[in-house]
Amino acid sequence: MTLTQAIYYALGAVGLFLFLSLVVIVLTWAERKALARIQMRMGPMRVGLHGALQPLADSIKLFTKEDILPSWADRRVYWFAPIAVFIPALMLWLTLPVARDLVLRNLEMGLFYITAISVLSVMGLVMAGWGSANKYAMLGGLRAAGQLVSYEIPFIMAILGVAMLAQSLDLTKVVDGQTTFAYALIQPVGLFLFLTAGLAELGRTPFDIHHAESEVVGGPFVEYSGAHWAAFFLAEYLNTFTVAALTVLLFFGGWQWPTMPFDGLAHSTLSLAWFMLKTSLVIWLIFWIRGTFPRLRIDQLMSFGWKLLVPLSFLNIIATGVVLFYGWDLWTLTAISLVLLGGTAYIIRKNPGTSIERDTVRVVSASSLRR
Amino acid sequence: MIGFLEGLKVTLKTAFRKPVTDQYPDPDKRRQVAPRYMGFPALLWDSDVPEPYCTGCMVCVRACPTQCMSAQMTDNPKFATDESRRRKIIEEFEINLGRCILCGICVDVCNFDAIEMSHEHELSKYRRNGNRMDLDDLLGMGMKYQTETGWQPSNPSKNSGVPVKKPEGSERPRRRPPRGGARTGGARASNAGASERAASDNSGDSGDGGGSGGGSGD
Repeated sequence: MTLTQAIYYALGAVGLFLFLSLVVIVLTWAERKALARIQMRMGPMRVGLHGALQPLADSIKLFTKEDILPSWADRRVYWFAPIAVFIPALMLWLTLPVARDLVLRNLEMGLFYITAISVLSVMGLVMAGWGSANKYAMLGGLRAAGQLVSYEIPFIMAILGVAMLAQSLDLTKVVDGQTTFAYALIQPVGLFLFLTAGLAELGRTPFDIHHAESEVVGGPFVEYSGAHWAAFFLAEYLNTFTVAALTVLLFFGGWQWPTMPFDGLAHSTLSLAWFMLKTSLVIWLIFWIRGTFPRLRIDQLMSFGWKLLVPLSFLNIIATGVVLFYGWDLWTLTAISLVLLGGTAYIIRKNPGTSIERDTVRVVSASSLRR
Repeated sequence: MIGFLEGLKVTLKTAFRKPVTDQYPDPDKRRQVAPRYMGFPALLWDSDVPEPYCTGCMVCVRACPTQCMSAQMTDNPKFATDESRRRKIIEEFEINLGRCILCGICVDVCNFDAIEMSHEHELSKYRRNGNRMDLDDLLGMGMKYQTETGWQPSNPSKNSGVPVKKPEGSERPRRRPPRGGARTGGARASNAGASERAASDNSGDSGDGGGSGGGSGD
């Protein structure tokens, strides 16, 4: 690696970091505003125009707060956990293109890299749960481990379906494969799987049991305060942006316009704007879902993941494989996907988890255990 | 699944409704209290004279269940110059609003329309003793209340401070010198009834409750 390359990567990393920080800052504000509108409130209004400087005020508050270390905490694990969550969230952006050639380093195995790195954040959450020496944190950490590992399977399978269609793990090629039709049209079930599993990976509201305030009072983050808590928070919003960006890249054609009359610099700028617009729409969908649905219970979450999403993701892979192997038209895959989606809807409607409850929730008295 | 979509539809609808928030501390956007709202007690201002309605009779102070008030009466200088009908006037008045329970008993017992439950209802102050309202504060609250609601005394003929027109020379002989060998109790009682008796001047002291005290003072 030459010196110029090194300087290029260093500058790129710094620029990327600044860009992502800006995005995260805007996202925290946008989420509060979106949720407020859904609940017919106004959200932050005081700091700046319509509360636009609220994230700044929040970050000043967070970074001047005391970092508290519980006396029983495993000190090194406790301090390292936020970093272990934040670094993978940042590392994902090494290979995520936001426009053609506007990427730090386009990897040929980009999707593989992304699936590999995104699992790492589980470790940080488990570390936080362990290091805090708090039973709620421990519960939350274990829940995070269980949830994230189980939803990793449909997440990866949905990505795999797209990779099969694109015949590549390179994200630029995946986007190029969508010049005529976005993969959301060809694989609606893949989109459903990716968004649902992605929400679970993020730990966003219908699936946020690992930091459920009403049960484990913040889960792995109970004991954290100040800058270290802010690192968790940053990572969460960064991951939200990442999942939205990935959804756009994998299913909505990335920066591809229907027709693009420009080229050169105007083309790149407009592509970037188009990509950001699509991403913000997906992010708004995520906020909208958060403002609508209540949290699932842990057993509902696990059974939903294992009994529905995992088989569905395998069916999706098989259907894609069959269609590609026999060289059928892609609209047949759309039809199969829609049938699968309809079947899922039917299963959810017919069996809303009542029989599962009876099996798993059992009251065991102490006397029966002693016998 | 259909239910999920319905839920999303509901939240989308509410997202485009007007927010129900009132921007509370904003003086322009905040919601006003109802006209009959009972806030903290305030002293009212008789702008005809001008002076407070309050004569410092201590009825409210004695009736207050939380003892949050104190009052000090003084001779009204305007009475001496015939500008006012009030013989006595309030000199110092203090209400500790932090202790007030807004029961309104002070308003019920007041004989002079001098105190009223105003529209003030906020206790946030920068100082620890910031809620101890002195006479000026209370009168300020009262004046604000009067201009806001167009308050009028419930018994203007009795409680207005405007001096009653009297026939020439009819009053002077009735007024006794303040000391004059009389007991203080008698003097005070005769003072209280003086203006009424002056209006309907009789030679005898038979009549109202003040009259008996005046009779013993003679």
